[in-house]
Amino acid sequence: MFDLILQATYSGLLSGGSYALIALGLALVFGTMRVINLAHGEFVLLAAYIAYTVESQMGWNPLLALPISVVVVCITAAIVYLLVTRLDKNREMNSLILTFGLGVILTNLVLFIWKADIHSTSVGWFQEAVVLGPLYSMRSELLFFITSVVMVAILWVWLDKSWYGRAVRAVSSNRDAAKLMGINPHVTELISFLIAGILASFSGVALYCASVIQPALGNALTIKAFIITILAGIGSIPGVLIGAVLLGVSEALTITLLSSALQELTGMLLLLFVLLALPNGLFGRAGRRG
Amino acid sequence: MKIRFLLPVLAVVYLAIPYLWGGNNYVMSLLVAAFIIAGVALAWALLANLGGMVSFGHSAFFGVGAYLSALLCINYRLPVLAGILMGGIGAAVASIAMLPALRLRGPYFALAVLAYANIFKILAMEFKGITEGAAGVTNIPALPTVMGFDFSSKLGTYLVIVTIVLLFTGSYHLIRVSHYGAALKAMHDSEDATRVVGVNSTLLKAMMLFVSAFMTGVVGAVNAHYINFIDPDYAFDLGWTLLPMVAVVFGGYRTLMGPLVGAVGIFMLDQLVFKALIGTGHQIMLGAVLAVMVLFSPDGLVPLIGDKWKRIRRAQA
Repeated sequence: MFDLILQATYSGLLSGGSYALIALGLALVFGTMRVINLAHGEFVLLAAYIAYTVESQMGWNPLLALPISVVVVCITAAIVYLLVTRLDKNREMNSLILTFGLGVILTNLVLFIWKADIHSTSVGWFQEAVVLGPLYSMRSELLFFITSVVMVAILWVWLDKSWYGRAVRAVSSNRDAAKLMGINPHVTELISFLIAGILASFSGVALYCASVIQPALGNALTIKAFIITILAGIGSIPGVLIGAVLLGVSEALTITLLSSALQELTGMLLLLFVLLALPNGLFGRAGRRG
Repeated sequence: MKIRFLLPVLAVVYLAIPYLWGGNNYVMSLLVAAFIIAGVALAWALLANLGGMVSFGHSAFFGVGAYLSALLCINYRLPVLAGILMGGIGAAVASIAMLPALRLRGPYFALAVLAYANIFKILAMEFKGITEGAAGVTNIPALPTVMGFDFSSKLGTYLVIVTIVLLFTGSYHLIRVSHYGAALKAMHDSEDATRVVGVNSTLLKAMMLFVSAFMTGVVGAVNAHYINFIDPDYAFDLGWTLLPMVAVVFGGYRTLMGPLVGAVGIFMLDQLVFKALIGTGHQIMLGAVLAVMVLFSPDGLVPLIGDKWKRIRRAQA
């Protein structure tokens, strides 16, 4: 029993790491623009399907799809950004409806191009087991986790040290003050959207290597990313990482101890608990939401 | 809605349409489906317009209403009409589970509700003992025959759903002109200022959520008794949120007629044009309509046309 729980915690840790990569893009855009991009899960989905196409059509390793998917997803992200900036009235609400609509368009585009079949990688290397003492995982899962941790670390350093990174943080903490300091908020917002696109491309390709993909997945990914953002509280990168791991571990424990069908329920209950008990999230700044 | 508009509307809905197409089952089934969307759209618009809340979770209320009514009528032999009423009440009770989300504002609320909607779908899947799980509930009793008139026919169901939608429209209007409506309108401008003058804004929002959930549950229940079969994927389908939302954004959510006109319009477009042209993935057009409307006319088509009309009238005068 103990072994099982240990193994579940380990698997949960790994999948939590991969959730973090997805959630971070959502959190970053929300931080700078106060816009929740409901099409974010579809960005990930798009990248995953590009990886599938590269593998099935050209016979290459799906990892080689990364440059193509970065370009395609970033272009998509830029289009979404340009459309969102066109909203003038009541942007908070209307951007939700707009990005929801764009998400529906992307999901159905994927459905239209690639049909509703479920796909996963046929490269055997990814599925081989990695044994760490008593713990097992697939190579792809470990790879996804490491990629995620590395990307999060890079992003953290970038936000902390580089000029544009600091501009992003400045805009998210006080837009008007940032403007007065000579920061162009539009450029900053576009950059945060593009970074979200890059993160989504990495997650999408990794998702295809580690798991199965289908068109309906986009929405579920967005919800997961949102739950993590709530868990983390706004404006905290380590919060996103820990919130993601928390979600991953509790999902894995639910699967092991109860039933795999209740997996999604865990996230919702966690969300409910945080909303009721810790309205600012685990690591968020104090203040009202919205 | 003013009285001089009401009479012609009633005449068209209750006399002209049944007279012209009452025998045509295809037209009638399209209209029934359109008015089911219109009912949900109205409930959604009520929450958005009066409560200021965009909900991505109305499929939860729709499904709860459908399941509760179907199961009560099958297992406890409840009359269908009582079942439908219970479906609405059940959906309102289910919305109590969403009350913690009222502490959230704007996008947070919208997404928390989207997450809640998934909980209900999972519950319907997993509590197989009660809901039959993924296999779904079959042989749901049809609408009854009253005084020799068969309400389970296409025409009968049409009359039932139209009556319900009109009753809802009336209630929406009454809420809007009541002092609750005034308080809600004030809340829309500044929630803090409204709190200061002694309005319990959370309570008011909760009441709007109950009303909206009740309406959606009733419509879901009617639909269940109309098609006689439900399963979790169908009853809790995100489409029950998407289509009404598109309808409301299309028609305009500030007006009473907007959601109704939008629902009938968008449903007919989707069924007759988009499905025929595209087939699989025809929802892409719904997404596109949603995006285009929000970008170019966020208040919807009905106010837009209304403005044009007024301008033409003024030019003529």
